[in-house]
Amino acid sequence: MSPWTRLLIYLVAAPILGGLLAGWDRRITARMQSRQGPPILQPFYDVLKLWKKENVVVRRSQNYYIFFFLLFTVFTGGLFFAGADLLLVIFALTLAAIFFVLGAYKASSPYSFVGAERELIQMMAYEPMVLLTAIGMYMVTKSFHVHDIAGHGSLLIFALPGVFLGFLYTLEIKFRKSPFDLSCSHHAHQELVRGITTEFSGRSLAMIEIAHWYENVFLLAWVFLFFAAMPALGIVMSVAVFLFMIFVDNVFARLKWQAALKSAWAVTVVLGFGNILVLSLWSGKPAAPPAVVDAPSAPVMVETTTPKLAAQPLPATTTTDRRN
Amino acid sequence: MSRFAKSPWLIHYDASSCNGCDIEVLACLTPKFDVERLGVVNTGNPKHADIFLVTGAVNEQSREVIRNIYHQLPEPKVVVAVGVCASSGGIFAECYNIAGGVDGVIPVDVYVPGCAARPEAIIDGVVQALDVLERKQKEMTALANSLDKALFQRATKADAPEILALQKIAYQSEAEIYGEDSLPAQQQTLAELEADFESVPDMAKPFGWDGPLPVPVGPAQIVFLKAVVNGKIIGSVRGYQLGDTVCLRRLSVHPYFWRRGIGRQLVRELEAAFPAAKRFEIFTGRESSRSLGHFRKLGYQEFATTQFNPKVTWVYMQKDRA
Amino acid sequence: MSAVLGLILIPLAVGGLLCLLRSDALRTALVVTAVVVVGALSCSLAMRPSPMDLAELPFNAHTVSQGVMAVGIAISLFLIYVGIRARNALVVLLALAQGGLMVWFKAGPGAHVAVEQHLFVDNFGVIMALINGLVGGGICLYALGYMREYHGKAHADVRDRRPFFFGLLFLFMGAMFGLIFANNLTWLFLFWEVTTLCSFLLIGYTQTDEAKRNALRALVMNLAGGLAFALAIVFLHQKTGTIELQAALKSDKALALLPAALLCFAGITKAAQLPFSSWLLGAMVAPTPVSALLHSSTMVKAGVYLVLRMAPVVEGTKVGLLVALVGAVTFVIGSLAAITASDAKRVLAWSTVANLGLIVLCGGIGTYEAVWAGVLLIIFHAVAKCLLFLCVGVVEHKLHSRDIESMAGLVVSMPRVSVMMQIGMAGMFLAPFGMLISKWAVLKAVVDASPVLSVFVVFGSAATLFFWVKWMGKLLEVVTPPPRVSKELETGEAVALYGLSAATALACLLFPLISRHYIEPFVAGVYGLSASLEQGNVIIMIIMMALVLLFPITFLNYGRGVRVTDAYLGGANVQSSTRFRTSADTVQEVAIGNYYLHNLLNEAKLAWWGVAGSAVLLGLMFLLALLRL
Repeated sequence: MSPWTRLLIYLVAAPILGGLLAGWDRRITARMQSRQGPPILQPFYDVLKLWKKENVVVRRSQNYYIFFFLLFTVFTGGLFFAGADLLLVIFALTLAAIFFVLGAYKASSPYSFVGAERELIQMMAYEPMVLLTAIGMYMVTKSFHVHDIAGHGSLLIFALPGVFLGFLYTLEIKFRKSPFDLSCSHHAHQELVRGITTEFSGRSLAMIEIAHWYENVFLLAWVFLFFAAMPALGIVMSVAVFLFMIFVDNVFARLKWQAALKSAWAVTVVLGFGNILVLSLWSGKPAAPPAVVDAPSAPVMVETTTPKLAAQPLPATTTTDRRN
Repeated sequence: MSRFAKSPWLIHYDASSCNGCDIEVLACLTPKFDVERLGVVNTGNPKHADIFLVTGAVNEQSREVIRNIYHQLPEPKVVVAVGVCASSGGIFAECYNIAGGVDGVIPVDVYVPGCAARPEAIIDGVVQALDVLERKQKEMTALANSLDKALFQRATKADAPEILALQKIAYQSEAEIYGEDSLPAQQQTLAELEADFESVPDMAKPFGWDGPLPVPVGPAQIVFLKAVVNGKIIGSVRGYQLGDTVCLRRLSVHPYFWRRGIGRQLVRELEAAFPAAKRFEIFTGRESSRSLGHFRKLGYQEFATTQFNPKVTWVYMQKDRA
Repeated sequence: MSAVLGLILIPLAVGGLLCLLRSDALRTALVVTAVVVVGALSCSLAMRPSPMDLAELPFNAHTVSQGVMAVGIAISLFLIYVGIRARNALVVLLALAQGGLMVWFKAGPGAHVAVEQHLFVDNFGVIMALINGLVGGGICLYALGYMREYHGKAHADVRDRRPFFFGLLFLFMGAMFGLIFANNLTWLFLFWEVTTLCSFLLIGYTQTDEAKRNALRALVMNLAGGLAFALAIVFLHQKTGTIELQAALKSDKALALLPAALLCFAGITKAAQLPFSSWLLGAMVAPTPVSALLHSSTMVKAGVYLVLRMAPVVEGTKVGLLVALVGAVTFVIGSLAAITASDAKRVLAWSTVANLGLIVLCGGIGTYEAVWAGVLLIIFHAVAKCLLFLCVGVVEHKLHSRDIESMAGLVVSMPRVSVMMQIGMAGMFLAPFGMLISKWAVLKAVVDASPVLSVFVVFGSAATLFFWVKWMGKLLEVVTPPPRVSKELETGEAVALYGLSAATALACLLFPLISRHYIEPFVAGVYGLSASLEQGNVIIMIIMMALVLLFPITFLNYGRGVRVTDAYLGGANVQSSTRFRTSADTVQEVAIGNYYLHNLLNEAKLAWWGVAGSAVLLGLMFLLALLRL
C-alpha cells in the first residue's frame, strides 16, 4: 500500500472506526455495570445532534482553537499513517493538544481553566514516556520512520517490554480513562463539571469528539506497531489493549493529579528508561549511524532525496578532515 | 426519530426539593431503568445539555440560578419540571419562602406529576420532551432559513418584554468591553423601556441640547421599530425627533443574526420613517470599534465625544440627509 | 578584513564616545547610526565566503599584543580595587590569581610563542556575529526608549547614568565581537574578561544593595571561569606549544583534553550552568535591556560558543560525557524550576539556563549531529528569548508588575505586545517553530550518541511545555475587562520588537537555508561530515507552519454564528461571567490562578540538588581530565 492510500484510508475510516470504538466502549461499560447501554451508533447520534445545536461561547475566539485542535489531531494521525518521522508525529500531537488547552484558557471560565491546567499536567505526565517509546523503537529498528518501524522484521515487544507497559500506562491518560480522567471528566464529577470542555457546546464540542476518535485510532495503531511483524497478532493486541483500557476504567477510582504525575513519571523512569538502559547495555555502545545510507524507500509523502544523516561533501575551502 | 430525539443530554437542578424526586432521577440512571439506552447522558453542564430537568419548588435562592442555567443552555432546549413541587409549588406553595413552580421563572415544556415522581414517569417526561425538542429544532431551522423574509414593523408596548430581553443579549458584547455595570442599556428595567414608547428619555437628547425635552410628544416624533422573523423579534431600534434632528437609539440585533444586514436595514427603515428630519445622530462607546465601523459604513461620522462615566466615553456620530 | 576589524573596533569606539555624551538627542543619533553600521557590517560579513583568511593584519600584531596585555592588567587591577572596596576576598584572590598567571605566562613561557593567525572567521563565527550585531543592535535601539521611560517615572529613585549605561552596552557588544573572531587565546581571554567586567557593571547599574550583591556574585563566578581560562592557556601552551584556538583543535586530542576541560568549565560558568546559575538569576535586577543582552546575544552565548568550539576535542571522552551531563542536569532542573516561578523574568531566566543546558549537552556529546543541533539552538534561542525579554520589559512598565498572574487579559489591554509575546513563546517551544526543531535535532543527536542521556531531554522538554503553555493561556484569558493601555510602545521599542518578531518568524521559515549555507559547512569543516535535515521532514514542517499561519485567518469569522453567554459558575452568576453569589449571599469575583506545583516542587531544593549534583560532576570531570581519560 502506498503512503497516500494509507493516508486516505485513515482520513476516511478513522472517524468511523473511532466512533464505533466509542460506542463499543459505552456499551461494554454498561454491560460491566449490568446495564443495557446505548446503541453502538450512539456516539454518531450525539455528534450529529451537537452539529445542529446552537454554539454558545463565553469568549468569541475560543472555538477557533478547537478547530485547530481537530485539524492538527487529524494531521498527526495522517503523518503516522503516511509513515513519517515518529518524533514529528509526537510534536504534532503535542501541538494539537496545546491548541485544545489554549481554547479552554481562552474561555476564561473557572472550570475550563482547572481542566486546562490539569490537561497540561497530564501532558507533562505522558510526554516523556511517549518520547521514550519512540526512542526505544528507534534503538531497535535504527529508524524513527513509522514506515521503517512497521517494516522491521522482528516483534518489537520482545525488545521493548518495559517500554510497552509504560506506553500502556500513558495510553490510559491519553484515552482519558479512570484513574486519569482528570481534565475532561466523562462521568460528571462535581468539582470539575466537564473540565476542559465545560464551555464548549454545539459544533465545537462535536469537533472535540471527532478529534478524540481520530486520536484513539492513531494511538491504537501505535500499539499495533509493537507487533507489526505479525499483523494478525497486532490487531488482536490492539483490541485487547482497548478492552483492557475499558476494564481499568471501570475498576479504578480516579487518582489525584499529583499521584497521576508522580506515578506516570515513576513508570517512565522505571519501565521506559530501564528498558532503554538495558537495551543500550545489551547492544553495547550504539554504532555511529552509517556515514552514507542508501536512501530508504520514501517514508513520507515526499521522496527523500537526502538521507537522514547523509555525508556532506567537503567544501573545497576546508583542508582538514579529522576523520581521515 | 431524528438525531435530536436520539441523543437527549440533560442537566438536573434541584431548586429546593426534599431530595425525593432527585433520588428518583438518579434511579433512572441505575441498571434497572438505565436511561442511557435511550442515549440520555446526565451532563451536569448546561452548555452541553438539551433538557433542563428541575426538581423542587422555586425559592429566593434558586430563582436566579434557574434563570442563569436556562440562559446558558444552547438552543433548542426543553424544560421538564419533575414532581408536583416543580410543577406548581406542591405542598410548599403557600410557604413564606416559596415563589411557586418553575414556570414562574422560565417557560416549562413538560410537567411530570408525582410526589415523588416515579422513575417511569420521569422517563416518560423526558421522552415527551424529545418531541418538543424536535419541534423547536424545526422552528430554529425555519428561523434561520426565513431570514430574507424578515419583517420590519413598528413595535408596540406589548413587545416591551421581548425587546428588553433582546437588548440585554445584544449588549452583552459591549458589557464585555466596558464591564457589566457601566452600560445603561444593560440596566434598563421593563418600566423604563415601556416609558420610552411615550416620552423622550434623557438619553435621547441630541448632542449639546440644553433645552427642556418636549412632553408630551406626538406619535410622529417617536418611532419604535422591530425586526421580526417567524414571529420572533430579533432586532429593534428607536428614533426620537427633536427639531430637525432625529436621534437613533439602542440599535440591538440578536447576536445570532449579526452580520446579516438586519442592523443596516433597521437604520434605513428608521431614517425613512422620519421624512421631515434633516440630520440623524447616533452615539456609541469609544472602544466599540466594531459598531463604530458599522455606523461609518452607514454614512455616519464622528463629531463629538463626552465622558459618560469613568469607564465609558460616548462618541457621537452624525449624518445629514442627502 | 576591514569588516571584522570594524565590527570589533566600532562598537568599542562608540561605547567610549557614548560615555562622554550628555545630550539625549546626540546619543540617540549616535546609537541609531552605530546600530545601523554594525548591522550592515555583520550582514556584509555573512555575504562573504567563509572561513576567511585573516593572516595578514594591517597593524603590528606584536604591539597590539602588548596593548592587550596592558588592558588585561588594568582590568585585573580595577577588579582588585572593586574587591577591596566591597571587602570581598574571593574577588581579590581570583583577580590576583588570573592577572598574575597571565603576567607570568607572558613574561616566562609564553614570551616568544609564535601566533600565525590572531583573528579567525568561519561560518560559526559569522552566525554568532549576525546574532550579536542584529539582536544586540535591536536591544540597543529598544534601550533608547526603555531607559527614557525607566528614568522618567518607573524608577525615579535610580540615579540617571545613561551615558555610562549606553557606553557599556556598546563596549559589551564590541567585546563579544572580539571574542567571536579571536583566534589568539590571549586575545580571546581579554575580551572574555571585558564581558565579565561589563556584565558586573551593568548588573549593578541601579546601585541598590540587591543589585550590588548580585553583581558581585556574578563577578565571583565569572572570575572563577576566567581563572580556568587562564590556566587553560598555560596548559595548552605547555602541552602543545600553541595558543591558537584553531591549532589547538587540530592538535592531539589527548594532549588538548585538560585545557579543553578547563575551557569547558569557563564556558559553563559564563553560560550560567548549574553550579553557577545563580548569577544569571540574580542579574534580573538590572534594567530589561541588560537582561536581554545577557540572555540572548552576548555573555551566556559566549559560554556556549566556547563549549561548542571544544566539542571536537571532548567528543567521545569521559570528560565530554560529564560536560554533557552537567548540561543535561541543568536542562531538567532549570525547566522544573521555571514551573515554580511566577515572576516573568525569573521564568525567562530559568528557561535560558535550561536551554543553554541543552546546548552544553550538545557540546559535551560533541558529535557532528550534536554540534549541528547546538548551533541551531543558539540561533533560535537568541532571537526568541530576546523578543520575550523585551516584551516583558514593556509590560512591566505598563502594568508596574512582572508577575505572570497580573498579565491576564493582556491580549485585550496590550494586543500588539501580547501577540508578539506569543510569537516569542511559540518560537521557544511550539512545533514547528525554531526551538522545537532544534530540540528534535538534539534528541536525535543524543539518541545516536548515548541513548541514556535522552531521558534528561524528554523530562526536561515535558516540563518546558508546562510552564510556557500556562503562561500563554494567562495572556489569552480575559476574566475582567482590563483597561486598554493608551500608548503601547515607544519608537525604539517598536522597531526592536517588530524586527525581532519578524526575525523569529523568518528564522523558522528560512532555517533550512541557514542550515545549508552556514551551519552545515561549518560542521563539515570541523568533522568532515555534517548532519542535515531530511527533505521530507522539512516539507512536513513547512506544511505544519502553513497550517499554524492559517490560525489568524480564522479571526475573520470573529463572532459569527455564536451566542455569547456567561461562563458556567454553578448557575450562581450575578449577571456576569466573573461574579457569583456565594452561599453566604455575598457577591464575589472569580479569581483564577495558574498552578505552580509548589507542593511537588520547591525551587530552592531543586536548585540545591542541582548545584550539588553538577558540582560533583564538574569535580569528576577535572579528575578525569587530569587522568587523561
